[in-house]
Amino acid sequence: MNGISAVPPGISDVVVSPELYRAGPKIRDEAINRDGTPVPAWAEMFESYGRHGSGVLKEWREAALRISRDRGLAYRPDWGDGSNWTLDPIPWVFSPEEWQYIETGVSQKLRLSAAILADLYGPQKLIDKGLIPASVILSHRGFLRALHDYPPGEKAIGLGMTAFDLAKDAGGRTYILNDRFDCPYGLGVALENRTVVNRVLPNLFRRCQVRRIGYFFTDWFDYLAEKAPSGTETPRIVILDSNSGGESSEISFLANYCGITRVGPFDLTVRGGKVWLKALSGLKPVDVIWKATYGRDLDPLEANRPHSAEGITGIFQALRESNVAVASHPGAEVLQSPGLFPFLAPICRDLLGEELILPPAATWWCGDKRARQYVLDHLPAMVVKSVGHHSDFRTRYGQRLSATELTELRAMIEADPERYVGQEELNISTVPASTVNGLVPRSAVVRSFAFLDAKGLPHVMPGGLGRVSTAEGIIISSRESGESKDIWVRSHYPDAPISIARRLEQSRVISPEVVPSRRGENLYWAGRYGERTDSISRFANRLVVGRASGFSYGRDLEARHEKTLIEALFRIFEVDGWMEKVKDPDERLKLILSDQTCPIGVGPNLNSFHRACMAAREEWSVTSILAIESAREKWFSGTKGLDSPYPYEAELENLALRLAAFHGLNLDSMTRDEAWGLLDAGRRIERMAMLTALLSYVLEVNEPEPMATLLNESVLFVSDSLGTYQTKFLTVPTTGLTLMLLLGEEDYPRSLRYLLERLENVLNKLKPPAKRPHPRERIAPMREELSRFLTELSPETGTTDQSRRAALAFLASCRRQLKELSDYITISYFSHAGNQG
Amino acid sequence: MNTVRYHIRHRTAYFYSGRIDLCHSLAHLRPREDEGIEMTSHKIEVTPEPRFQRERRDYFGNTTNYFAIQQSHESLDVVATTTVTKENRTPVLPVAGVSWDKLRVPPNGKDPSGVRLLNYLLPTTACPRLAAAGEFLKPSLIPGRDVMELVNEIMGRVYREFQYVPGATDTTTPLEKVMKQRQGVCQDFAHVMIAALRPLGIPVRYVSGYLETIPPPGQSKLQGADATHAWIEAYSPTCGWIGFDPTNNRIPGGQHIKICHGRDYFDVQPLKGIFLGNGTQDLVVQVDVERM
Repeated sequence: MNGISAVPPGISDVVVSPELYRAGPKIRDEAINRDGTPVPAWAEMFESYGRHGSGVLKEWREAALRISRDRGLAYRPDWGDGSNWTLDPIPWVFSPEEWQYIETGVSQKLRLSAAILADLYGPQKLIDKGLIPASVILSHRGFLRALHDYPPGEKAIGLGMTAFDLAKDAGGRTYILNDRFDCPYGLGVALENRTVVNRVLPNLFRRCQVRRIGYFFTDWFDYLAEKAPSGTETPRIVILDSNSGGESSEISFLANYCGITRVGPFDLTVRGGKVWLKALSGLKPVDVIWKATYGRDLDPLEANRPHSAEGITGIFQALRESNVAVASHPGAEVLQSPGLFPFLAPICRDLLGEELILPPAATWWCGDKRARQYVLDHLPAMVVKSVGHHSDFRTRYGQRLSATELTELRAMIEADPERYVGQEELNISTVPASTVNGLVPRSAVVRSFAFLDAKGLPHVMPGGLGRVSTAEGIIISSRESGESKDIWVRSHYPDAPISIARRLEQSRVISPEVVPSRRGENLYWAGRYGERTDSISRFANRLVVGRASGFSYGRDLEARHEKTLIEALFRIFEVDGWMEKVKDPDERLKLILSDQTCPIGVGPNLNSFHRACMAAREEWSVTSILAIESAREKWFSGTKGLDSPYPYEAELENLALRLAAFHGLNLDSMTRDEAWGLLDAGRRIERMAMLTALLSYVLEVNEPEPMATLLNESVLFVSDSLGTYQTKFLTVPTTGLTLMLLLGEEDYPRSLRYLLERLENVLNKLKPPAKRPHPRERIAPMREELSRFLTELSPETGTTDQSRRAALAFLASCRRQLKELSDYITISYFSHAGNQG
Repeated sequence: MNTVRYHIRHRTAYFYSGRIDLCHSLAHLRPREDEGIEMTSHKIEVTPEPRFQRERRDYFGNTTNYFAIQQSHESLDVVATTTVTKENRTPVLPVAGVSWDKLRVPPNGKDPSGVRLLNYLLPTTACPRLAAAGEFLKPSLIPGRDVMELVNEIMGRVYREFQYVPGATDTTTPLEKVMKQRQGVCQDFAHVMIAALRPLGIPVRYVSGYLETIPPPGQSKLQGADATHAWIEAYSPTCGWIGFDPTNNRIPGGQHIKICHGRDYFDVQPLKGIFLGNGTQDLVVQVDVERM
């Protein structure tokens, strides 16, 4: 005991002036007493706020926003349920004693839930004894009959990470409003909020002696490693994100924090009753899956829904074989049924021999005749929920229903009473929330996170995620969340900061992170689409300039030139359908500049580039992410509603600059590993594909002078080589010289020769694929072929039919080999076709 | 005792348009060895040979077979060969001794195999609660009518009022559409009976099985004998589970051989496969059931 007191001297006499903060007239407030004195745990907060004046709120909010933005959070908007993440920098403060009570209650609820789960996927004594109606369990969408022979226990994890939503009513009693056993969102947000608020209010944080949350994560991580099937020395732990992949930033944040690989269902495959990660370096065994998706559709082969397609086929059998551990048990969602609420207190007595500390709000199951009558008699005051969480019924709040809606609801309950519960609506207490009008009282709930370790001991995070309602009197539900808050649990003693050594020690016991194939594939396509967007915007630029100021070749010739260039694009991307469909020159130009679907448009390619980047977001620095986001946002906002092509010139130049900035940032910050190798290979292959396709097209159309010169000039412009050409040759562009520069120039980053050399180099970053030759071996023959062709190449090439055909033959061969190389990389590193685990 | 012995060969073959690199399958092909049935032999042959295979009991007590083909393949051939001996009882309609409007199944009760009866009372995706099913039922709901008599009557009405049209539906056709078009195959008719009777509180389960292919002289060939068949079983505390085949309007006797039962088709799908690869598939199913 070092004698440091929680409340420094002189703080206890703080009075909160009503101008600064005033509680609502009827609702209990957590921060302030009726007489205007602060609740002791909040004294420092009010003292600091009072000292700075109400203007400081704006400053704090701006600081929070700035810090989140710097951390890349402004572009990580979702919570997993589609609502926006925003942070109120004013924390929600708990005294050590109050939190102790919550911790005891949450621990008990966790032990109770684990015991119920073990019973439901085991002997089902609770149903036999009549403590739980069979209907509540059997009708729930999350009860997995397929796992009736996989009970939680020694080998199978029951509950993994669990979340409880806590709130207080007017009387100050704490309730558990909801539980999340299957897929608790908000953990990453809680972690992020802590980091941000700690930086906005560092002094206050120190003065309040706030307990640190880092230990909770290291303990959780220890637990996961411990649950690896026996015999594994360095377990591989992955966090499983939803199907969409790349969108739930919260999960990638958690993955980064814990140093584990974030995967989607498509990254995993089951072979031989074991789960494998499809990685660039081959199939890697997976031992523990921290699941951030719903369990009910985890295995399409045995899913509850008949036609489910996404998931990890065969994983349930891998579980039964005890070859992999999944946290939580895929069938844990059944515990979330509100149909369990009315029965929790007697179940707690039966299973634990204890009185339930944190009850749910009073709930009545309509399958019971008397309970149903009560619900029907008090319907306007009830919240009616679906017992089975069926998607065809959304929760109804009696208070907000019209007389007709109440009658309808009554009829629904009477027709099928077992499907519904009625729940009392709590008058939830308020906390101070920062708004543009200063601090105001808002109803709020705490999402508390907890898990049971391998010995069955509960761990409750000393903190959590606060959620405040958007406006006064609005019910907080997961769908209608307002802002989030950091939860400060005070301690009588300062907490030791979490030791870095401990985290390092852990990183030794688990297998190092690998690059999942899908992420690799997205990197490769980020390279290709990035380059493609670049090329297409150069095309577009050339076309717009042609329209705006012309090239002094006369209107007719220039119109034909424009037509040829656009048709070249159609041909290169093999979208002849569009060419047939759209004939008008203005409409064709619009396809490139503003169409949202045509594959030769700037927009769709920019979107594809952005999507590929986001799906591999782990690989970028925060600055790089900001660069991609702003390139896309500014292009679409800058070109929105533009009617004429002329203003596009400036937008296209800006886009080119922003894309260049992104590539420059990567050049500066990315490790030259296999991820880099794929990104760079993608860029170079795309550049070569574009170059050879364009040269082929121009040779094929074989236009006479002066059109030939103008086309060569355009080819050089699109290849970003017009300036170089002019400096080097001091003449108008001829076909022969253009080919010499773009194919054979030494040490010139835009020439095929240089690109092939670099590609060979960068492919070296990739490990050889299993049982197949290394892709770099395909480059040497291409280089040899180029060398041979270069000896034939002269300034006169293109002037005779024979030389033209020779050039075309070379280009065709080169294009074919590039395509084969791209397919080969896909098969060897991304799809794992034919690899046997 | 009068018994009949069958040799059953059930072949399912998939032909893919492209190469398949990985395929996980779950088979419900092993006939249940319930009362009155004795299995002499049973084997499942899969080509190409699976690297990994497991047999287990599912929630409803059926034997399932999981297997994974991990090598590249262009077709998948599954042949289940079974020899069974079963009692050749003449089917009779039993009397439940309780009327449908008085039947009360204990809410947490189990059937003789230990499965909770409530499983067979709740709606499922394939057999949802449908107003149309309630409408269909209405004319038959005479108060005081015996449970089994009612089920029998509904079987007869499905047989008469629905047309057996192979190809009119597939496994994804919603029941609502079947009710509307009054057409379907055995599986749809079983689902119609399930959706109609469960809301009354009568436990009903879906049965997959076989029919004798070539009937003994003097008997007619039954509808649905060339593929796997489906019918239902309804429960009352006095009678236990009793079968009803709405496709042929008869109570299953010696010519019906049950494979598995569950809540609906999707619990007992004979062969479910999820494969990794591109392309389309052609499916061939052949069933031969011979009296020995």
